[in-house]
Amino acid sequence: MANKRNATLVVVLIIVAVAAILVWRPTVLINGIQAAGLYASIAIPMGLILGIVHIVNLAHGEFMMVAAYVTYMLCIATGIDPFLAMLPVALVTAVFGFVVYKLTIKQALKSPELNQLILTFGIGISLTQVANLIFTSQTRKISFDYVSASVDIGDLSFGVFKFVYIVIAVLMVVGLRLFLTRTTTGKAALAVGQNPRGAAIVGIDVDKTYGFVFALASALLGMMGAVFITTSSIFPAVGSPFTMKSFCLIAMAGIGNIPGILGASILLGVSENFLKAFRATRGWADIVFFVLIITVILGRSIKGKKA
Amino acid sequence: MILDVKKLETGYGKLQVLRGIDLSVGKESVGLFGPNGAGKTTLINAIMGIVKPWKGSIEFEGAQIGNLPTHMVARAGIALVPQERELFPGLSVADNLELGAAYVPRGKDIIPKQLEIVLTLFPILKERYKQFVGTMSGGQQRMVAIGRALMANPSLLILDEPSLGLQPSIVAEVFDRLSILKKEIAILVTEQNVRESLKAIDRGYVIENGAVVLEDTAEGLAKNPHVVSAYLGI
Repeated sequence: MANKRNATLVVVLIIVAVAAILVWRPTVLINGIQAAGLYASIAIPMGLILGIVHIVNLAHGEFMMVAAYVTYMLCIATGIDPFLAMLPVALVTAVFGFVVYKLTIKQALKSPELNQLILTFGIGISLTQVANLIFTSQTRKISFDYVSASVDIGDLSFGVFKFVYIVIAVLMVVGLRLFLTRTTTGKAALAVGQNPRGAAIVGIDVDKTYGFVFALASALLGMMGAVFITTSSIFPAVGSPFTMKSFCLIAMAGIGNIPGILGASILLGVSENFLKAFRATRGWADIVFFVLIITVILGRSIKGKKA
Repeated sequence: MILDVKKLETGYGKLQVLRGIDLSVGKESVGLFGPNGAGKTTLINAIMGIVKPWKGSIEFEGAQIGNLPTHMVARAGIALVPQERELFPGLSVADNLELGAAYVPRGKDIIPKQLEIVLTLFPILKERYKQFVGTMSGGQQRMVAIGRALMANPSLLILDEPSLGLQPSIVAEVFDRLSILKKEIAILVTEQNVRESLKAIDRGYVIENGAVVLEDTAEGLAKNPHVVSAYLGI
């Protein structure tokens, strides 16, 4: 009962806080949700891999960087829009993810976790350096008119294009949920994540499932990378901050909790933009990310100790 | 013969566990007895492709399965109820049962029929159909594990210590269900509870130190002085 009352209290507090921010500084909420969509849609594929293959892919942000460069070249060469490039890029990154899995990660599945971390970390650095050699460290950007679309409500004027990220994040959450709970392949993937031994015993090919999940996550990330170039310049190291942030969001949500990643992203996106709204605290915005994560993980540990 | 194991030797790393096992299972139910560490679970792991044989052969329905990976052994028609159950705790009873059949050629086209058999055998699973398996008691999980194995429509069902950690009334229930099953499929069962399982089996092997020391019918084993003193404790 006490738990239920606490939960209700938290929900009420959140609603009050959101309402207060909405009235007082509406841009905090708007920018916060736009940022949250970006964080979540990059973190969700990583969460999928961590939940099922149990690998922390520290090359995750670099995978997205690869997708962004592939999109960039495709758009420059053919003149098509990044949104049209989403499908072909997803195909390319799916194959890329699958090959990386087969050649490297598969060989390390039974190794100690530290070795797996070093392996994916190394893959990330290699990808950045290869991008550096091919494209140099120069930043690249294609401008699109529709990115600057804005809306005026009363005195308030804000860009709406970046809401595309929250739409992508919600589509990913809903799509993955349907796939994982309604299809046999999806259920088998969940089963492999929960108990690979048990899955093999009922005839599920665990290795094939891992390869498939890696390819699927890389495809989702590829689509994300395609859209990413509409709002951001790209350079070889553009992906690395997202690796860290994605990992933190997953840690905050709890492994295997994909909708939770979206929730954690919104909390962080809004908090960050809340600090950015004031001149005095602007520089603290990046720190809030890690303060919140430390708080949540400490809180969970203390709660775990009590129980 | 459905299963024919010949001169099987295997182990873990450099540690040899099985030292030349000969064992066969026809259309019958066969018990596998022996002290902890004798090699019962290792033998099952070798049949399932979880550990690879060093020497000897494992033949199932006329084909060599000794070097197949676990999922291919399962698809060939051997279903295992592991000692640790190895269920999917975050999935419902319904999903656990469905996955028992979904990847096995001889089971996946007859899921509704198999489901009816399993739910008739274990009516409690019908009541808990939508419940997450991780929230169920050990005895109920054991029933899910047996049900999941049966869903595959196996020609050989292997049960590793099906009564482990169960209260006596449920043990009796599990063996009761097994004796219904043995008319339909070949069964290989390992069991600490020798007294209960002798009622449910046709034939049995006693394994000690990785080798078969005794092989007899259930009646023969029940009268054998070694079995009586070492396993029945009379």
